[in-house]
Amino acid sequence: MTDSTESPDLSRRGGLTRLKEGTYGGLFAACAAITLLTTAAIFVTLLSDAVVFFRSIPIAEFLAGTNWSPNPAGGGQAFGIVPLLIGTITVTVTAAFISIPVGTLTAIYLSEYATPNARSILKPLLEILAGIPTVVYGYFALVYVTPALKATLFPEMSTFNALAASIMVGIMTIPMVSSISEDAMSAVPDELRQAGYGLGATKFEVSTGIVVPASISGIASSYILAVSRAIGETMIVVVAMGAQARMPEVQQALFGIPFVNPADVLLQSGMTITVAMVQITGGDLTGGTLPYNSMFALGLALFAVTLVMNVISDIIAQRYREEY
Amino acid sequence: MATDNANADGFGEVSRVRGIVFEYLSFGASVFGLVALGVLLVYVAIDAFDLANASPEWLLTYFLTLVVPFLAFCLYSANDRGVTRRALGALGGGLVAVAALFTAVETLVSPIPRLNWQLAYLFVVGAPATAYLAYVGSGGRVGAVGFGLLGRLVGGVAIGLAVGTLFLVFDPLLWFLAYTLGVLPAVGLYAVGRRRSTPRAQTAAAPVGLAGLIAAVVLRDVVSTYPSDLIIYLWTVAVPVAAAGGLLVAGRRGRTAAAVVAGLPLAVATAGGFLAAGAGLPAPTVLLVLVLTGVPTAAYVSRVVDAGEGLAGLGLPLLLGAGVIAGALIVEAWGVPAPDPWLDGSFLTGAPSRTPTDAGLYPAIVGSVIIIALVAVLSFALGVGTSVFLEEYTPESGPLGTLTRILQVNIANLAAVPSVVYGLLGLGLFANLLGLGIGTAVTAALTLSLLILPITIISAQEAIRSVPDDLRRGSDAMGATRWQTTKNVVLPEAMPGVLTGTILALGRAIGETAPLIMIGAATTVFRAPDSLFSRFSAMPMQIYTWAGFPQADFRYGVVAAGVITLLIILVGMNGTAILLRNRAERGS
Repeated sequence: MTDSTESPDLSRRGGLTRLKEGTYGGLFAACAAITLLTTAAIFVTLLSDAVVFFRSIPIAEFLAGTNWSPNPAGGGQAFGIVPLLIGTITVTVTAAFISIPVGTLTAIYLSEYATPNARSILKPLLEILAGIPTVVYGYFALVYVTPALKATLFPEMSTFNALAASIMVGIMTIPMVSSISEDAMSAVPDELRQAGYGLGATKFEVSTGIVVPASISGIASSYILAVSRAIGETMIVVVAMGAQARMPEVQQALFGIPFVNPADVLLQSGMTITVAMVQITGGDLTGGTLPYNSMFALGLALFAVTLVMNVISDIIAQRYREEY
Repeated sequence: MATDNANADGFGEVSRVRGIVFEYLSFGASVFGLVALGVLLVYVAIDAFDLANASPEWLLTYFLTLVVPFLAFCLYSANDRGVTRRALGALGGGLVAVAALFTAVETLVSPIPRLNWQLAYLFVVGAPATAYLAYVGSGGRVGAVGFGLLGRLVGGVAIGLAVGTLFLVFDPLLWFLAYTLGVLPAVGLYAVGRRRSTPRAQTAAAPVGLAGLIAAVVLRDVVSTYPSDLIIYLWTVAVPVAAAGGLLVAGRRGRTAAAVVAGLPLAVATAGGFLAAGAGLPAPTVLLVLVLTGVPTAAYVSRVVDAGEGLAGLGLPLLLGAGVIAGALIVEAWGVPAPDPWLDGSFLTGAPSRTPTDAGLYPAIVGSVIIIALVAVLSFALGVGTSVFLEEYTPESGPLGTLTRILQVNIANLAAVPSVVYGLLGLGLFANLLGLGIGTAVTAALTLSLLILPITIISAQEAIRSVPDDLRRGSDAMGATRWQTTKNVVLPEAMPGVLTGTILALGRAIGETAPLIMIGAATTVFRAPDSLFSRFSAMPMQIYTWAGFPQADFRYGVVAAGVITLLIILVGMNGTAILLRNRAERGS
């Protein structure tokens, strides 16, 4: 037994303690508020300059224009987003042709076939793909991939082209597809697999016929995230794709149906939304000029598209998730 | 009941071909990206170190003097006959297999540019085998000691160089005053309060420190005579580091050991500093590197000697050093043709140039170090604050719960915003509206901090969430306030996880280029920045600039060297983060 004479103060009425508690609580709340402020600041920054831009260039002209030349040598600026959209869509779709099949197969392998040991090695290694700086990927595409493709498959390829850039974007986004899809596949309860085996299904049938459909919402949301990442990718395309805002040549062949030769788009240089933004920074950056404002309009378009895609991916993952 | 059916049990044969093909296909898919990246990295390494021009004799010399002793060390440490047999089998069999396969491909298909079978063997068999053996070897006592020592040497040099770089921007004289008037008295008061358990002294530490800092700022221009730079670094960095090392050792092993651990490196560093000053080298950096390497190394050696296990491991740095020197001597003596690597001392210490052979990365490295240091401080503080607020301070239901959910969704969305958009935010808000200047280090640091903030927050939240609730309830039961629980229980438990997440996020920041372009960072600067508001370049910026140059020597030489430098720094940072996490996992 201790014979303490003073009883402990349990009321916690000390002014200093309270002040301290309040101060720290307030500090943390302020830190959290900064994240909200960041979103608000992005909105306000983009909107304020974009609004100025749209005062001189009508939105319809911006969205439907087929010519992009913000700093022409001889005058006659034009701000049409269509060629940039074509560039962005080219890169995104081509990259998706790599990242989606490869990423899905990787996820199936990791979740269904790999031994725990192999999984514990492969998973962190795959994350490396997303951790390499994108400017390094761009350099790879320009200096190694393009010459290799030119020497083997496509001799008529130009030095700056969409294909090499897209391949690198695809490789970079593999882990985005594979890790989210794998999480979704691993969440499928084992009873479903065992039920399949009980019915005499093979491992291949269980993997593709039970696990994949059961985790389809997670897989779909991973695709959307990977595509949204590819849309916003900047450095790979800036370094490897060049900077020519071109409209592809539409050919009237094949029973009179107009079509575009993919080689025209893929093997030539092009320009994405992000490249257009980076190109403008070569000029005056203090603000007030039309190209400067157009940068913010493009940023707004990019921000809106990626935000919408993320929200859709979120909704798919939430709403169509099978509850087990 | 005999039926005429040949398949009496009624089951048909199931073809296994489809399943096996699918399994191999999916395995191929999972290594596709890694193999592609691996091949590209091999080519960058060949370009950066000019290995394509390395003669087989040169490769063999260094293989024998450097790699073979290292492998022997790892095998000795692993002390496992099975591993030894497998390793020798792989190295020997791999030699034959790679040579045969490579020659076959070269003759039958087509020559492979810039590769020969010796290099192929080095990268396909040598490098993975060495990495595997290093991993196995580090499990043994001897290997653990050897790698521990090596890590402290390399880490000490890296931190010493980084601190020296930071003093290029931060005024050493102001730091001298701030340290003497603010930091030292505050820490002293706090320590005395801790010792005598007088809370009043501890509480007084913060105001005293603050007053000291204000006094330092005021006095900076009033005082006119200052000690020399070397004395300032000695007094403000070397002595405290040595004292801290000594105190740590003294707690465990008495005063004599502490005096040696603190005194010896301090004496060596001081002597080195003055010698370097005499020789015209950057004396403060030499002093910093020596003291920041020496103190942890001495403390580690003293601990190993006390424990008496794995003493042979202390020879690893000597073994490697001797290997390098022996290799160099042989190359020199026998006139072995050596490659001329792009990534060498003059590349790391030189300024950018129009001629490839003169081009250097130094100003860009300094810029990157400064930005990353600022980003580390900002994103760590903001990330921890936000995650503590979300995890410890807000309830899960009620109106505040709704706020928490909104914050969470917002953070998840911020993490997915393209980095160019952050660049626009930096340009519009920090550079133009707030007037911090286009392309300055401050603007870059603020922009990149906001960019990695969501990643930092999410990982810090995970770390805080993994702290068991029992610990919190225990602390609450003893009458701790929320802040006391957070400070004394939650944060110390979660700190390794938080640090790991922060370092990984910093790895993202150091490679980001697009936001730097948007805020108008200089594509090339010829002098290292000397203030936070001067124009700067960063490593990825410089790589981007050089990649646009058409000369082959830039594309296949200088840029490769820059890429390898950037990747080595990244690997070092991520390796540190993973080591931290593993150590924390083992500890708990």
